[in-house]
Amino acid sequence: MDPLVLGGLVAVFTILVLFSGVSVAIGLLIVSAGFLIVFDGARSLELMPEILFGKLDNFALLAIPMFIIMGSSIASTRAGADLYEALERWLTRVPGGLVISNLGACALFAAMSGSSPATCAAIGKMGIPEMRKRGYPDGVAAGSIAAGGTLGILIPPSVTMIVYGIATESSIGRLFLAGVLPGLLLVGLFMAWSLYSTAKSGNRDLLNVTPYTWREKFEILPRVLPFLLIILGVLYAMYGGIATPSETAAVGALLCLVIAMVIYRLWNPKDLWVVLRDSTRESVMILFIIAAAGVFSYMLSSLFITQSIAEWIGTLDINRWFLMGAINIFLLIAGFFLPPVAVILMAAPILLPVIVTAGFDPIWFAVVLTINMEIGLISPPVGLNLYVINGIAPDIPLKTILLGSLPFVACMVLAIILLCLFPGIATWLPDLVMGAAI
Amino acid sequence: MATQPKAVQSRARKNLFVNTVDAISTLAGWCAAAMIVVAVGITCQMIFVRFVLNHSTIWQTEMVIYLVIAATLIGLPYVQKLRGHVNVDLVPLMLPPRLRFGLCVVTLSMSILIITVMLWYGYEFWHFAWDRNWKSDTVWGVRLWIPYLSLPVGLGLLALQLTADLVAVILRIDTPFGLET
Amino acid sequence: EELRLSHQWSNTDIRHEVAKIVADEVAAADVDLDIKIFGSQSLFKAREQYTPLSRGQLDMTVLPLSYAGGQQPAYNLTLMPGLVKNHDHAARLNESPFMEALEEKMAEDDVMVLVHGYLAGGFVGADGCITKPEDIKGLQTRAAGKAFEQMLAGAGASIASMSSSEIYNAMQTGVLDAANTSSSSFVSYRIYEQAKCYTPAGDIALWFMYQPLLMNKSTFEGLNEEQQAALLAGAEKAQAHYLEEAKKEDAASEEVFREAGVEIAQMSQEDFDAWRELAKETSYKQFVEDTPDGQKLLDMALAVE
Ligand code: NA
Ligand code: NA
Repeated sequence: MDPLVLGGLVAVFTILVLFSGVSVAIGLLIVSAGFLIVFDGARSLELMPEILFGKLDNFALLAIPMFIIMGSSIASTRAGADLYEALERWLTRVPGGLVISNLGACALFAAMSGSSPATCAAIGKMGIPEMRKRGYPDGVAAGSIAAGGTLGILIPPSVTMIVYGIATESSIGRLFLAGVLPGLLLVGLFMAWSLYSTAKSGNRDLLNVTPYTWREKFEILPRVLPFLLIILGVLYAMYGGIATPSETAAVGALLCLVIAMVIYRLWNPKDLWVVLRDSTRESVMILFIIAAAGVFSYMLSSLFITQSIAEWIGTLDINRWFLMGAINIFLLIAGFFLPPVAVILMAAPILLPVIVTAGFDPIWFAVVLTINMEIGLISPPVGLNLYVINGIAPDIPLKTILLGSLPFVACMVLAIILLCLFPGIATWLPDLVMGAAI
Repeated sequence: MATQPKAVQSRARKNLFVNTVDAISTLAGWCAAAMIVVAVGITCQMIFVRFVLNHSTIWQTEMVIYLVIAATLIGLPYVQKLRGHVNVDLVPLMLPPRLRFGLCVVTLSMSILIITVMLWYGYEFWHFAWDRNWKSDTVWGVRLWIPYLSLPVGLGLLALQLTADLVAVILRIDTPFGLET
Repeated sequence: EELRLSHQWSNTDIRHEVAKIVADEVAAADVDLDIKIFGSQSLFKAREQYTPLSRGQLDMTVLPLSYAGGQQPAYNLTLMPGLVKNHDHAARLNESPFMEALEEKMAEDDVMVLVHGYLAGGFVGADGCITKPEDIKGLQTRAAGKAFEQMLAGAGASIASMSSSEIYNAMQTGVLDAANTSSSSFVSYRIYEQAKCYTPAGDIALWFMYQPLLMNKSTFEGLNEEQQAALLAGAEKAQAHYLEEAKKEDAASEEVFREAGVEIAQMSQEDFDAWRELAKETSYKQFVEDTPDGQKLLDMALAVE
């Protein structure tokens, strides 16, 4: 059978199996096993556990549980609340100060956590009730946190960047740096939209809250120090010659656990177990998808589907920007249904050669891909951040959260367009710090 | 909609088999969490040994890799118990209760089948390494059957937990896909 | 009929060329045999190719044999410091009783060699040149291969293990002071941007790695005579090309480093002897301890002039 036709068949069956409600990882194993039996012979099943194990046999994967622990240990303290409170006291004269502080806090928290749900939970737990109390519409309160939380995978450290780095053999340090400016760009766009919508809602009293005294402003600063300590500590370890990026994650995890225990008194074994349980759950979920997607990509490669698709796209004589547009739409749709890690692992091996042949920078593409995945995090049916918000504020209807997130989705699309027009937003910083790309 | 952790603990499962498997999976979850913590510790120790003491770091990288693999595989049943493995339940949500029940039984049975097949070949792979006394090609030279053991153990426990989930759904102790009716 | 060949390199690498020559020759022979090449680890990861090869789940691979040293300790001799002096010596080793003994080991795993080939490598230092054992003392070093780690540790280096793709970053940030790997890896990972001094493989070199094109033996024996003949003819042509290009690669890497402004150092005969003395006390000794008939194999290798 022609590999391209076979590829279409795989796509159809994958969609059917995943929509049956089976867990994504096991679904990928089922599809892989099915196609391997039919087209490669039953003996190839023997290889599946070996490949599963082999995909996990990679030191760089250590960073995934570590960066998740960083986020979830700090998220279970009142650190997130401190952070956004400090920002609020200082930004009080800025119109819409509270929503701005929440977004700023999300961005800062994202610099400590590699995962989006953790970022969302950390800031949302205090931020959403506070915004609603002050009269912000439910949609703005929930939408801004859902969207702000997605920055967790764009602003370094980032679990998805690690996975992309492994799948495409790109430098993880370089990928992390590439996410910084686009992350700030997104924060800026989110803030601009929040200001505009708050002002437009005509709710003037939201814009002028009682100003805080200087005393109150300075009082809160020491409580933000642990954050700076962690962020600086991790940056120093990573770029200061102490550890490789994967090892740095462990330093960050240890620092966060220690700070949570010492400064925020997270002593109780029960509370500690909650942190470990949540981190283990998220890490194991992600790592199992990575392993299963490894088996899936073995199947695609073994049936020569990966290679044929890349070759086929190469022969199509189409405009490179048209190609990029098509790829973005494909990623967007995939992101609706699949968690980011699964999309990256299944798409990267197929798309990377195409991207490179069309003259795009793989590091730049990682950023575009990540923003696409961020959109998926706040869109049904698999929008991890939506469930986090739903858990924090169960009385806000899902529809309101969705509608509130929609304008932020528009901001992300705008960011992708800006990145296409000015690729330097992604590539300038890594080139500056680490020299021109290989 | 919904895929992430739901309130699973609240349901009162009243079946000895189901309860026992739940307990085993929880224990496995503790082991997985402990292995991740140990991996953090060893990595920090490695950085200390290299950066502060300027000594060799021979075994740490490999040890950490095996710990994370083992944590993942041994953690599988626990995450299954917590319904932490992401799925797309758009279709199950739209189905009427009887069809939803049927689909749930089918997907769980398929899951058990594929994991059992992998368990079988995983055991075989482990046995190969044991029988031929394979070692890793490093100075540390770990006997590979030790890390490979996490394959049959983790997949075996996952198959067990999936079976318990299937039993729970069939006995109506648990709702299909954990969805509210 | 179709055979699947897996390797870990890009399609500009010599080792891909070797595979390609065999595939093209077989195709040209028109014996109803087609070799499909899966490069860049697109099918199996580098270190996970030997097991499927030996179990017949993969037909062919181009593989550093020492990757399978954990399964057959004898293979560790194929990446042993100072055992091979230069490429011509390597070519003589390929025809020796030593290689026959290794091929017997491979046959135990149902594996056979189609194309023999050695590639060489050298050292880089972030702050200075590494030519003799004293130079490496106290440096955080990444070494390619177990035996080299043992020897360098014996010289007082601190060993940090990481993949060759991490060398660039680690040298840039200062995690690593020195590294040892193949000439082609030094160039493809652009290590010349981070190194102060390069000791390439020249007339005298320490680091040689045996990287043959292997095939599953039963699969080969299952082919008809014409197909086997076509494979062997292609392999012969590929082997000549391999040797020629391997020699060129060392000089080419030296040129790249020189152009990048990196200091080039040469290992003298005295330096080489000092390393080899050290290796005898460390890696050779350990090898003999770990391997059932280790001493016999080592003597066979050392006997090749
Ligand atoms: Na982050
Ligand atoms: Na989604």
